[in-house]
Amino acid sequence: MIISVASGKGGTGKTTVATALALSVGYCQFMDYDVEAPNSSFFLKPYIKHIQKVTIKQPYFLTETGEDFSKCAEFCNYNALAVLKDDVIFFPELCHGCGGCMLVGPEGAVREKDVEVGEVKKGVTSPNIDYYMGDLKPGSMRTVSVQSALDKAIIPWELVIIDCPPGTSCPMVFSVKDCDYCILVTEPTPYGLNDLKLSIDVLEKMGKPFGVVINRDGIGDDEVEKYCIKNGVKILAKIPNDKEIAKYYSIGESLVEYDKNWKQKFENILEEIEKDLVV
Amino acid sequence: MKVAISSSGTTLQSNVDPRFGRCPYFIFYDTDSDTFEHIDNQARQAMGGAGIQTGQLIEKYGAKVVITGNVGPNAFRVLSSASIKVYSGVSGKVNDAIKKLKEGKLTETSAPDVGSHFGMGQK
Amino acid sequence: MKQMTIISGKGGTGKTTVASNFIKLANDHIAVDCDVDAANLHILLEPKIIKEEEFTGGAIATVTGECINCGKCEEACRFKAISDSETGIKINPIRCEGCGVCVYLCPANALELKPDRQGSSYVSETKFCILVHARLNPGAENSGLLITRIRNTAEDIANDKDLKLIIIDGAPGIGCPVISSLNGVDATLIVTEPTLSAISDFKKVYEVAKIFDIKVFVCVNKFDLNLENTKEIEDFCKSNNIKLIGKILYDDKVSIYLSQKKFIVDCSESEAAIEIKNMWENIKGYLYGR
Repeated sequence: MIISVASGKGGTGKTTVATALALSVGYCQFMDYDVEAPNSSFFLKPYIKHIQKVTIKQPYFLTETGEDFSKCAEFCNYNALAVLKDDVIFFPELCHGCGGCMLVGPEGAVREKDVEVGEVKKGVTSPNIDYYMGDLKPGSMRTVSVQSALDKAIIPWELVIIDCPPGTSCPMVFSVKDCDYCILVTEPTPYGLNDLKLSIDVLEKMGKPFGVVINRDGIGDDEVEKYCIKNGVKILAKIPNDKEIAKYYSIGESLVEYDKNWKQKFENILEEIEKDLVV
Repeated sequence: MKVAISSSGTTLQSNVDPRFGRCPYFIFYDTDSDTFEHIDNQARQAMGGAGIQTGQLIEKYGAKVVITGNVGPNAFRVLSSASIKVYSGVSGKVNDAIKKLKEGKLTETSAPDVGSHFGMGQK
Repeated sequence: MKQMTIISGKGGTGKTTVASNFIKLANDHIAVDCDVDAANLHILLEPKIIKEEEFTGGAIATVTGECINCGKCEEACRFKAISDSETGIKINPIRCEGCGVCVYLCPANALELKPDRQGSSYVSETKFCILVHARLNPGAENSGLLITRIRNTAEDIANDKDLKLIIIDGAPGIGCPVISSLNGVDATLIVTEPTLSAISDFKKVYEVAKIFDIKVFVCVNKFDLNLENTKEIEDFCKSNNIKLIGKILYDDKVSIYLSQKKFIVDCSESEAAIEIKNMWENIKGYLYGR
């Protein structure tokens, strides 16, 4: 079973919830899909066993052949290639690695090589968690390429917990596309409510079942709760606003470390989800 | 000689636009015949690399000189490769800029103005 | 005219809160909400839309002809966006990156790249200035392109009205949307907080900002939450010559003010208010100067 933990708004507590869930249940695959800024390792403290480079294929042009590469520049939808009268300039940061220029260009004069865009780190942590983290090279735009590499490691018949990036666009969608259930984490504020509605919109369009965890309950108002009740959205848990929890968070200590009672609460959340999915 | 000027409008009274890759128009001014034409800058709609596309466009139009506000490193690289002279940091009206060029009052730019668009493998 | 983008790396550090209060304090300016994914500036600024434009992002490959199931497209697609079925190939719009390779290869001419209607951009009036913002449709890609478009629009308006400052509320993260929010600006303010997660993301987003060779300012929100971590941020700023312009005290009433649609700088009882005003004083000299 694949559970994605997502949020429209950043900073609501996705990683807090995802890591607490993993530590409570104890036996799972944990995947950090927030490859631009992965933070789960602070809380799970994995022992990293293996680092795998993520690469895409990018072209290089044999300009000494004197061939005409204009068709390549015309084909490229990303403007990664400038073909001038006397020069060919390639811009790797704009290239998606689609291979199109090699197809349309002069035979044999466009070759490809592997270029690194990030890494996947694999490790373990107690009690019994297989840990995977994607890490995008700063400056690269190939978020999806690193997430795709994580996709390959998923064992869908195990319990898989995916820590998603914030937002509702492509990187988040990529992180929930294969999930059986999505936990949406929000905060009880106007920003939290606004962004919760956006996330719900995405999940409904994708046909994904979901439930809500309200984090930092008490800092704002009860509009999020009222919205959930009114729209039949299940509230899985409410984590209270507590400066002590925040202090624990600031040094990478999990909610479960702060208060052992949360272990049972998160186990209950998992049971609720499993019940929901059977129905 | 053809001169390309990034422009906010379509006439010589328009302002020089501060952007090279994403300005709305280019004015091509022929200093030999003192005539001009304007084009819509199609590249401004580009997903990325607008300056790269614009640079190639300028070469295709046969311009030997570019007058603009700011030019980024990708665009600058393309223009340099095409041996097109760049005069950046220019503002004010298009016709004033042309006058200054003719009077030799503009300084040629030797390096891009705005910071690098991306950094990976770029230099 | 100068442009400043407010970013955070990590979400939830208070970027939009700082941005909205700066927008209230500034003059001769225009604001852009580049968090097109989950825009929040409008909540406090209460914009009145005066212009709306449809946003067509990149393209998606679409089956428009008779598929002969040769499988050439599926084999060639680098993004695993094509799968086959009894009724012919299916394109997964989530994975398709609009490169056009499948269209080029299809022997039956059954494929076309169609522009993808991905959202809307808006120009609005607020009490303080014009706001350019956007709504990206759920699941859409190309937030980077939409951000570039609304920044373009803001630049056009600013040039036209001879404004002095564009304040940009950036997107969280370090990827494409942030890069589009930083491209060509003069300065960035990184809003961070003293937690391990935020510090890690702060350093990452700083690397991205460095690539752009722009002036970097930093402020630490909720700094009293962990003084040791705050010191780590201060030391990092010192050794990298980054100007730290403010340290804001943790004020748990901030969200209540927001619910009441109040700007923190108007709440004299909030310690955060004084600090945000000070930060503005510290930075406005640079923003309006030469």
